[in-house]
Amino acid sequence: MSSSTLRPAGGAPSAGQPEHTARARGRVLPFPITGQEVVLIVVIAVLWVALALTTPAFLTSGSIVPLLVAMAPVALIGVGMTVVIITGGIDVSVAGMVMVCAVVVARAMVESGAPLPVAVLLSVALGGLLGLANGVLIAYGRVHAIIITFGTANLFRFLGLQLFGGTTVDNIPGTLAVFGRGEAGRTLGVPHSFLIMLVVAAAAWYYLRHTPSGRHLYAIGGDADAARLAGVKVQRRVLSAYVLTGLLTGLAACFVIARGTSTLAPNVGAGMELAAIAAVVIGGTSIMGGRGSVLGTVLGALLVQTVTSGVTQLGWRSQLASLFVGILILIAVGADLLRERTRRTA
Amino acid sequence: MSTTVSPPAPAPQSGRPEAPDSRLRQLPALLLRALLTQRIVLLLVLLVAVVATFVTLSQRNYLTAPYDAGYMSAALISAVPLVMLGLAELLVITSGRGGIDLSVGAVVSLTSMVFGFGYGEWGWPLWPSILLAAAFGALCGAVNGFLIAYIGYPALITTLATYYAFSSLAIVVNDQQPISTQPIQEFFSAARSVPLGGGEDPLQVPLGILTFLLPTAVVVWLLLNRSTYGRRLYAIGTNDVAAQWAGIDVRRTRFLAYTAAGLISGLVAVVTVAQFASARPDAGVAGSGMALPAITIAVLGGVAITGGIGRVAGVVLATLLVVWLNAGILLAVPGNAGSQFQLFALGTVLVFAALLNGLTNRRYGRTG
Repeated sequence: MSSSTLRPAGGAPSAGQPEHTARARGRVLPFPITGQEVVLIVVIAVLWVALALTTPAFLTSGSIVPLLVAMAPVALIGVGMTVVIITGGIDVSVAGMVMVCAVVVARAMVESGAPLPVAVLLSVALGGLLGLANGVLIAYGRVHAIIITFGTANLFRFLGLQLFGGTTVDNIPGTLAVFGRGEAGRTLGVPHSFLIMLVVAAAAWYYLRHTPSGRHLYAIGGDADAARLAGVKVQRRVLSAYVLTGLLTGLAACFVIARGTSTLAPNVGAGMELAAIAAVVIGGTSIMGGRGSVLGTVLGALLVQTVTSGVTQLGWRSQLASLFVGILILIAVGADLLRERTRRTA
Repeated sequence: MSTTVSPPAPAPQSGRPEAPDSRLRQLPALLLRALLTQRIVLLLVLLVAVVATFVTLSQRNYLTAPYDAGYMSAALISAVPLVMLGLAELLVITSGRGGIDLSVGAVVSLTSMVFGFGYGEWGWPLWPSILLAAAFGALCGAVNGFLIAYIGYPALITTLATYYAFSSLAIVVNDQQPISTQPIQEFFSAARSVPLGGGEDPLQVPLGILTFLLPTAVVVWLLLNRSTYGRRLYAIGTNDVAAQWAGIDVRRTRFLAYTAAGLISGLVAVVTVAQFASARPDAGVAGSGMALPAITIAVLGGVAITGGIGRVAGVVLATLLVVWLNAGILLAVPGNAGSQFQLFALGTVLVFAALLNGLTNRRYGRTG
């Protein structure tokens, strides 16, 4: 399950527990905000100021609200992805999940006029079910997560395309407008989808940091065998991580429908797995597992969306945004590597 | 076909002490064991089963067109990029430490454009243009390799980042426009089929099989099994600390694996330009892209995601299985649904093979 950490230099396994540098000694938990998150906050602030100075339209609600609405689903999936990556796994099937959930919910609303609670519950439950399939295969089949989720990604896409039946879903009613970017989707100017994402992220942050089962997830990512010997129910915890990702992906699918138009095309969700993974790694979560935070992921998603919006607003070619996202990933992870190296030698 | 890789699991054939008749009695158990532990044996059996099924269906007229040697041979055109990128993934995944290359599709896109400029716009002759594509692909791979091997970035993240960067550059470099000038359109002839063998009805084989696929497969096989570099690659993939102590330049070996993967992607770009008769900026990333199918093929072919294990024959057989299965599905399920059932088949085969591998790992120890 866990990628065995083959680090030639450092023998000490860096589990979820804090590194015992002089600064952190005596504290049970590491400082709530890591260096990576401070860097991200500074970078985002600099970008926002720069964009506000160059394009006066940036700091208006007409530009910020779509930005927040656009980042909410990626950040939401990213929260689940963070939990999965902390356990040393990965889930590349979330794009397929978004597709399945979105098409089922859209068709339920079009064909039987499902009301808002039913639509959301349906989507979340369906996502949880798909996540359960991943989790069972990974936790009890003892196969590396990336292989299983590559496989299920294909299966989910098959399922989604079958449900689409070769066409688009048209005339979707505005049931989900509470999550959209319109007037109905805002309270005091703040979009609901963004608020919900923040609440979920805060809950996940507390769960990972302050509950025993949350700490177990870090222990599994640090060293699954050691965690098992220490009495952690590894398989059950791993299973729960994938189910959580599924549930959050189901909710994100509702946001995706809401931020779009009244037509749902079969390419819905495409590329979201990579976007979510990008947000997670920019946020400083170690892809090897055992280290990371939800706060970083939310900031990572915000940074990616800021860059994307900024490129559009500056009137540059929108595809240039991916180039900057790629460079950002390298810078963010490089900074993390550097800090890791100084920590180890300190 | 190839020598055994990795510390060999006690080979089933080495039951020397027993008397001949007891060995005969063990034969069913040995066969079962070979089927379960040797991915190549499993793939061969599946391949025969798939072909036999579709040929039978075809003879009873359940299919919309005959599933015969000619059709199977024509279907191989889609095997060319798959096998080559699968081999690229074989090299990087085998190099260990979470090795993987998500950027191959983006490298194909970007190199397609470079090849398009060289051959289509600047009027370079064909061979220098192909060399340019190979060199440019290798350069892209070298960027990955440098970051991963020398700086120590995790492979998944590096290649995710370069996937974004290369695919963005590919689109921006020519303003989203494909290059399909006269020479590029005529280059379509490189994707034609040529008759193989004599007789009045010779088998038509896609030219790309002979000009690109076979040479690449042979070179990678020689590299892995008949060169010291191959031995070093398996060594660092199995245990890079041990390899370091054995005096192997781990960084250089890993760097070269990613560079080679980039070079192969560059050649795939040439193949795709020929197939489309146009250098398209989204050639390698359209739809679900080229990287995910390539990784799927490699994993299906028995390449261990943890590194150090993987064989060329496995990748080739896995591709043949997927390509001929897909070709059969297209005839059995006509229209749009056919391509959807291909996803289903690919996903099922992958999950099934992975689970079987996990099961046999526990029952028989490591598999080869």
